[in-house]
Amino acid sequence: MKTILQGKTAAASRTAASRGTSGLRSPVAYLFILPAMLIFLVFTIGPTIFTFVVSTFKWNWLNPDQNKFVGVANYQMLVDGSQDPPFAATLLTSGYFVSAMVVGGTAISLGLAMLLRQARRINVAARTAVFLAHVTPLVATSIVWVWIFNPRFGLANLVMSWFGIPNIDWLGNSRFAMPAVIIYSLWHEIGFTTVIFLGGLTTISTELSEAARLDGCNAWQEFWNVTFPQLRPVAIFVIVVSSVASLQAFTQFFMMTGGGPGFDTATLGFQLYQQAFVFRKTGYAAALAVVLFSITVALSILQLRTTRSLGRTV
Amino acid sequence: MGRLLQPGAAIAVGLIFLVPIFWMLITSVASDADVFTFPPRLWPAWDFSNYAKAWGKSPWLTYFGNTVLIAGSVVLLVLITSLLAGFAFALMRFRGKGVLFLLVMSAMMVPQTVLLIPNFIMAQKLGWYDTYLIQIVPWGASVFGIFLLRQFFLTLPKELFEAAEMDGAGPLRMLFSVAAPLAAPSLVLVALNSFMGSWNAFVWPYIMTKSDAVRPIEVGLQAFYGTEGTDWTGLCAAVSFTTLPIIVLFLFLQKYFVTGVYGTQGSVRG
Repeated sequence: MKTILQGKTAAASRTAASRGTSGLRSPVAYLFILPAMLIFLVFTIGPTIFTFVVSTFKWNWLNPDQNKFVGVANYQMLVDGSQDPPFAATLLTSGYFVSAMVVGGTAISLGLAMLLRQARRINVAARTAVFLAHVTPLVATSIVWVWIFNPRFGLANLVMSWFGIPNIDWLGNSRFAMPAVIIYSLWHEIGFTTVIFLGGLTTISTELSEAARLDGCNAWQEFWNVTFPQLRPVAIFVIVVSSVASLQAFTQFFMMTGGGPGFDTATLGFQLYQQAFVFRKTGYAAALAVVLFSITVALSILQLRTTRSLGRTV
Repeated sequence: MGRLLQPGAAIAVGLIFLVPIFWMLITSVASDADVFTFPPRLWPAWDFSNYAKAWGKSPWLTYFGNTVLIAGSVVLLVLITSLLAGFAFALMRFRGKGVLFLLVMSAMMVPQTVLLIPNFIMAQKLGWYDTYLIQIVPWGASVFGIFLLRQFFLTLPKELFEAAEMDGAGPLRMLFSVAAPLAAPSLVLVALNSFMGSWNAFVWPYIMTKSDAVRPIEVGLQAFYGTEGTDWTGLCAAVSFTTLPIIVLFLFLQKYFVTGVYGTQGSVRG
């Protein structure tokens, strides 16, 4: 595990640059990187640039000859709210989902990591159960959760009935649809972030915790004043990774709500698909893609910085 | 008190996360009469006819075959491209290395949804729409794979390669007869990462294909859900037989899955 953590890279690459047998100093290197570079250029980097181009066109789905350059008109549609749903509403919906996933996901997975910290048999089994949810395909388990949230026969309403709450139409009600998708997404994603926190916990000092205990700290004080400060870089990493992932979330919305009821669960990732491939407003969808891309790049740069600081602490 | 509380809480957490899987399995062996009752019946009825019923309604074998073919090809391509590029970026010296590596790393920042529109337009122009190719080639290089192998190759002692060079080995032989065999654990991680990505892929193949002949398992499952939306016993049976292979794989290779998480921490995305 340690070898693939960021920590070693900087030091190691310096020695690699200064060494090297003469046979490794050859133009053959370009042939070595060519296949990968070609794939990235053709299917990732080129298309990203092309998205910017498309976003300045009124793009005709069926007849490319009728594509019309419209400048920033697609971006004006974002700002003036003339589209249905308005861009501001999409951003709010995304913000709702992202903040719930980031706050809920980080808090719960940190709690679970603390709970399952010791490598006892029961804890290892519980970790397996939590991580198992994460490896299941989104399409498959979204279907299971649609069944769980079934308004008449679902398991969710059984649980509600234990608390005397009458049946809820989870996915069909604009108040409950988003919480339902969030519950499913938390179930699916928490395994990943819990494992990251568990990894972080193995690297922090137990001596400090013991010293704190000897000084009379209770468990809660020790966590906040000793353990958590050491975990902060890991926590920042988890926050950034969950924001990026939930900003792009698509499949669970497609399967569970179709963005509905109305546009109540139409997040940025879902809107991009719907505008492009259902409403066929390609140019406008490309403008949405540019926005999504820009936010992701900003978050990724933040992430690279935190990974670097993570490398120092690990 | 704490002595009982912690294991109790751990068991409760594990069970809560398993409930959806249990319920999927219970519904998949329930009779239709059991399913449409409230409160729901929480123990299995062992009615396996749902599996036969669901299996007969869709070309599952074709979907499975397509997924295996696509995932297998992607894994093979990713292993080759990652070995080559990882080796070059770790151990070879060439002009522009830093910039080119940065370019590779920047590819991981681009969300898949952003790539859908331009790649869809391109696929139609190339005649790749509704083919295996559009599902394989774009995923044939992985930032995660290149990053992970580069990291590993950087840890190898240089004496290893000096000895190989004395024997007159070129870079290709150094890579495949010296470096690659040592990288086996990293290669398993990279292969698993790409395999899971291919198996779970949905939006890309959903947009880029239209016919069952080339569509993979998750897209097939979504189509089945679209037509059998209220047949919950059949649906849960279909979800079970499409998902159990992944669950079994996970239980056998758990160690690698977990290590893969720390790998993504270094490189972010696969």
